[in-house]
Amino acid sequence: MIRIRDNVKGGALTETTFLVLLAFYRPNHGYEVMQWIEEETGGRVSLGAGTAYGAINTLVKRGWITPTGNEDGRHRKEYMITALGRRVAEQELSRLNKLAALAGRVMRGGSK
Amino acid sequence: MTKTKIRYFFDFLAGQERWLNRMAEQGYRLARCGPFTYHFEPCNPGEYEYAVELVGDRPYYEAKDYKSFLESAGYRVFTKNINLNLSFGKIRWRPWARGSGQLTTSPGSFNKELLIVERKRQDQPFALHTDPQDVLETYVALRRAYRWATGVMAALLVLTFIAEPASGVLQTALLRLALLLFALLWGLPAAKTSTIIRRLREEIHG
Repeated sequence: MIRIRDNVKGGALTETTFLVLLAFYRPNHGYEVMQWIEEETGGRVSLGAGTAYGAINTLVKRGWITPTGNEDGRHRKEYMITALGRRVAEQELSRLNKLAALAGRVMRGGSK
Repeated sequence: MTKTKIRYFFDFLAGQERWLNRMAEQGYRLARCGPFTYHFEPCNPGEYEYAVELVGDRPYYEAKDYKSFLESAGYRVFTKNINLNLSFGKIRWRPWARGSGQLTTSPGSFNKELLIVERKRQDQPFALHTDPQDVLETYVALRRAYRWATGVMAALLVLTFIAEPASGVLQTALLRLALLLFALLWGLPAAKTSTIIRRLREEIHG
């Protein structure tokens, strides 16, 4: 299993993990996730298929996403974020907002 | 015109990948492969590109699931052997693999330690793994396989000096030379992989 390391106890997700989690806010297949991330980041983040596969399996193991039971004609499995996954994503958003606010204060206001 | 090549790659990942991509640049697309053979069919030069991935360290169900995932993403995928195993009847032991991936049975994951992944050439480099930690994990697994092969060859070489050889002096010398050569041929990729791992760890941890 390819492990995607996250410091969840410290409250930080890697960008890859957070993007993959966001992609499953609506039911999605692994390949669609790769395309969605590339489109939404303007090509800045391009997820390799191996990385996407490992990330999806890690998130399923953690209970952050779950298979919906649907498969399309090409046998692509569909996944959806869980309630736990939403809580983790919201915590990450809160952390990033606080970090952005701190950075804004320090860089523009000279806060100590 | 179709082409058949007979090859074995000690540098079974990067070396094999480079060669497949050279063939593709010359206008040959992989049609099928055997333990030591590669069969190509003609295509436009540079139309396709290849990546090679080690899956022999994973349990069979995971390797199979990953292959299906790659195929569902539109890639063409071939399985390939690397023959770094110890065989006992129909069960092979891969000491370098993880967990239940260490035991492989026929047909199962026999001779399916590698995936050769094909796609139509694109502008972006063909990288199956893009997250730095993920890339690091794949190289750690790869190094484990190369190191095991090097270690076995080195151990057998030492054994020829300890155990009384049954064959003549010339045969023993040739055997020792062959074992030394194999140890080096697997040792070099192992060393290269260690350098890559060191660099990746520095990038990740700063």
